Amino acid sequence: MENLEVKIVQADSLEALEKVRIELFGKKGLLAAEFAKMKDIPGPEKKAFAQGLNEKKAALQQAFDARYEVLKAEAVEEMLKAEELDVSLYGTLAQKGALHPVMETMDKIIDYFVALNFSVETGGMIEDDFHNFEALNLPKYHPARDMQDTFYFKDGGLLRTHTSPVQIRTMLKEKPPIRMIAPGTVFRRDYDVTHTPMFHQVEGLVVDEKGKVSFANLKAILTDFLQYMFGDVDVRFRPSFFPFTEPSAEVDISCIFCGGEGCRVCSHTGWIEILGCGIVDPNVFKAVDYEDVSGYAFGLGVERIAMLMHQIPDLRSLFEGDIRLLEQFR
Amino acid sequence: MIVTRSWLNEFIDLSGVSDEKLYETFNAIGLEVDSMEKIEIDPKVVVGKILSCEKHPDADKLNVCKIDVGSGIRQIVCGAANVVDAEYVAVATIGTVLPGDFEIKHAKLRGVESEGMVCASSELGLPETGKGIMILDESIGELEIGKPFGAYPCIADTIIELELTANRGDCLSIYGVARDLSAALNIEMKPFEYKQEERMKLGIARKMDLHTSGEMDADLRYKLATLQHVHSSFLIKLRLAMVKAEADNPLAEILAYATHTTGVILRMYDCASFCSPEEEKVVVSVEAHAEGIIHVHANGKHISIVGVSQSEESKPTVNSREVLIEASYIHPDLLAEAVVNEKIETDDLYYKTSRGSNSDLGFGLGYLAYLMEHNTEVECYEGSMDVEVEREHEKVLVDADEISDIVGMEIELSKIAVVLQKLGFDVTAMNDHQLATKVPLFRHDIKNIQDIAEEIVRIVGINNIPSKPLVFSEKKRLNETSSRYSAKKDLRNRAVGVGFYENISYVFSEKEVLERYGFETTDEALALANPIAEELNTLRSTLLVNMLQAIKRNVSYSKKSIPLFEIGAVFDAERTQTEKIGFVFAGQAERESVTNAGKPPVIDFASFVGKLGGVIGHFDLVPCTFENGLIHPYQSADIVIDGKVCGFVSKLHPSVQEHYDIPVTFIAEIDFDVLMPKHINAKPISKFQGVYKDLSVVIDKNIRYYEVAKVLNGLDLPLLKESYPVDIYTDEKLGENKSLTIRFFIQSMEKTLEESDIEHVMDAIMRALQENFGAELR
Repeated sequence: MENLEVKIVQADSLEALEKVRIELFGKKGLLAAEFAKMKDIPGPEKKAFAQGLNEKKAALQQAFDARYEVLKAEAVEEMLKAEELDVSLYGTLAQKGALHPVMETMDKIIDYFVALNFSVETGGMIEDDFHNFEALNLPKYHPARDMQDTFYFKDGGLLRTHTSPVQIRTMLKEKPPIRMIAPGTVFRRDYDVTHTPMFHQVEGLVVDEKGKVSFANLKAILTDFLQYMFGDVDVRFRPSFFPFTEPSAEVDISCIFCGGEGCRVCSHTGWIEILGCGIVDPNVFKAVDYEDVSGYAFGLGVERIAMLMHQIPDLRSLFEGDIRLLEQFR
Repeated sequence: MIVTRSWLNEFIDLSGVSDEKLYETFNAIGLEVDSMEKIEIDPKVVVGKILSCEKHPDADKLNVCKIDVGSGIRQIVCGAANVVDAEYVAVATIGTVLPGDFEIKHAKLRGVESEGMVCASSELGLPETGKGIMILDESIGELEIGKPFGAYPCIADTIIELELTANRGDCLSIYGVARDLSAALNIEMKPFEYKQEERMKLGIARKMDLHTSGEMDADLRYKLATLQHVHSSFLIKLRLAMVKAEADNPLAEILAYATHTTGVILRMYDCASFCSPEEEKVVVSVEAHAEGIIHVHANGKHISIVGVSQSEESKPTVNSREVLIEASYIHPDLLAEAVVNEKIETDDLYYKTSRGSNSDLGFGLGYLAYLMEHNTEVECYEGSMDVEVEREHEKVLVDADEISDIVGMEIELSKIAVVLQKLGFDVTAMNDHQLATKVPLFRHDIKNIQDIAEEIVRIVGINNIPSKPLVFSEKKRLNETSSRYSAKKDLRNRAVGVGFYENISYVFSEKEVLERYGFETTDEALALANPIAEELNTLRSTLLVNMLQAIKRNVSYSKKSIPLFEIGAVFDAERTQTEKIGFVFAGQAERESVTNAGKPPVIDFASFVGKLGGVIGHFDLVPCTFENGLIHPYQSADIVIDGKVCGFVSKLHPSVQEHYDIPVTFIAEIDFDVLMPKHINAKPISKFQGVYKDLSVVIDKNIRYYEVAKVLNGLDLPLLKESYPVDIYTDEKLGENKSLTIRFFIQSMEKTLEESDIEHVMDAIMRALQENFGAELR
């Protein structure tokens, strides 16, 4: 009986152990044979014999269970090992594409204003002179029309040069108060390193009772907006001129590349021009028959902001579907 | 508009104002500084006096000069031809370092010692003032021999280029810019005082007649003068070069200088061009042709249109002896509108007149006379001949409270009054909170209270205005556009999730290309009138043509798998704008990797359609009804969503693929409108187990699955929940037939299915297939 335990311990596989199990614990196994001897043992010794045999059986069972656990664990490990992969081969298989940085920037801008409960408005790209120019205080002979080289159609229609006609259309459709942004595609007849004939703008307009909307309000929202977009930057307002606002201002942020020290990007001024804004000109309200109101408006170029935010050097590459650029934004 | 510090200084004392302060102030008041350049000149460059000048013994083109440079007399060899005319010059003495690190050393030129260099302007970093060396004169100040050249403020000047907004015609002159600075810096303007000496006592009326006809819109003032020895000074030449307004003869230089200084439109006419010596008088007739268009004739010859142009022959030359001088003012709005309407050609001065010139004709003529007197021998006939128009000045009632509301901060009436006065407004207090103001003519852009507010904002300082959040009434502002926008955003993100890159291409396409592939183009009568380039000469009616271009570019960048999508506007022949989503996929369907042994499969119909489904959700495919040159006739389909055809998917036609020289490509274009999310109600889900059953039938090869599906979907079998094809098989034995295996899912809402229920369903299906397609069980 002594070498039985050795047999268990020496079993080197689950199959070998199973053989040992049958040899020992099976119906015709060694233990069963030992227990069968009971009937020949005389009465007084029977109890001691049985006790000894039971202890022996328990010890063997324990040894067996322990061996089984070990062999089972080895078997699982072996099975797992057989499925081993060089996982580092597969890290580059991702098939995700990417949003266009201009559109993603537009999303970010829209998110901000929607969170402030601005409505989102749109309009067609083909406009007429009234909505694109006249109603915005840009009469035909106005020198500021030079600033906006326009695509015209043979019937006098034109491709909108800014998203401002959406302001006019919204005001003609709705009564004040108004609080809206108009994201969209706009067109200028210009093509060089810093101009493409098509680009994107987001325009904002707020109209409320006369005396309510001030330049100070414009400063508050645009400062907050630009810090949301660019982080901890300084914001500077400079008086400027747009026919549809008065007073008008251009807004600069401290250069995000040099922190205002002066570098190539900011032409060594420490500031980067980012958007235009102002108090809505009374002539614009006159054109849409609004009376006793006040308002502010602002407009920004999405490409410019996207290029600054992501340090994209070439404007034109944004319109070429260049995967070398796009895949960086995965 | 370019100004220089010393030039401004003629009208406003800037001695206490640093360049940095000037820069800040200009930007703060809306005169954006484009560039600012401080001229610096080595102090070893000094004023020298040429004592003698002789030809170099061994070189034709060189002169040997003896020049007094204060610290002694130097022998200097000079190569400039005009040195023979010079008396005072700028001399770079030994040790001077010129721009470009060029050091002046002792030298021997063709055997002659030279101790320095006589300088041309460009050699000192100044703009070029003409050929040869600078010939100095007292126009820059008293010429002291040996004085460092850079010690003259008008030499070591600061040149400032301002980018003016279109409304600021009043700042198109040195005087105008000085006036704006005066208000911003709170420094009084220096008055310009000049009393013309009337040397010729002959009155102008003796020599000139002036007639007008029609309604006059312009102010005009004429003078007559005779000239001799016309020349302009060094300072005039230098400053004109600094502001890039060089002219080609001394008279033109003087005129340009006076105009740049004063902002008054000044012209000069050579009397000889219209008045023969026999004619006794200059007869000027001024005729109004249309509102804003005034023609000027002299002795019957057309010489100019006021504010717009001047005839070439009438322009004065170096030989002109008798000249007619004209100062003019016309309201820019009137003029600009007329010029645009009548399509009149304009000259350089029109830029100034159309943006608003200075209406102070007396100032302009006075300044011109002052210049001429200092530079030429001039004799003016006494007096002038004038046309004057009664003009209404714009009047604006300024209420301090209203200004404060617009600006968003309290601004006192007295402060407003001071600012406006400095800017040239007539101001009268009405009461303790209102001013009556009269707007000067040169600020034709100011018409209402908000224009006044802008002036206040500029001068008070825009950065001194506080930030105040606006309290706004609450209201739901989510509208259809916002839903559309967020749906678009979801769709775009899904497209990215299955591997597409978002593309933006121009809304323009090439007409010829669109036509070649059978897409519509804008009707001729509605077409783009001024396209920017041939390849962008019409509005696109499909996104796909531009996207093929993008594929081609990416192929040239060695990209092997090119999945792009774009959501954008397209236009039909009537120019109606709609929105589409386009997908293209070219080349490899997946990346090269160990899983495909570096040879990934090329994109095919099934995987392209699978990707589309990942973006736009469920759709059905039926044979293609779209017709265009991009479509492959045997691998194309209509995309059907909710029973509506809303786009197509196709393999790119191989001939187009070849034309673009790109790999195998699949394309799809879908109306965006149908992709808007729909409201969905949930259906009850059965608690009972269902079963899958396959059925293989032999049917005609030419029957398409959508026809089979139509029949199956039309069956009235509530237990039949789903059916889809799982196998298709053909071989020679089947001949003109094919074997089609369809899998069915059968389930009841009420009970566990029994064999007979299933049989009933399958029998009905088989019957239907037999009746409709003559199908036989395989």
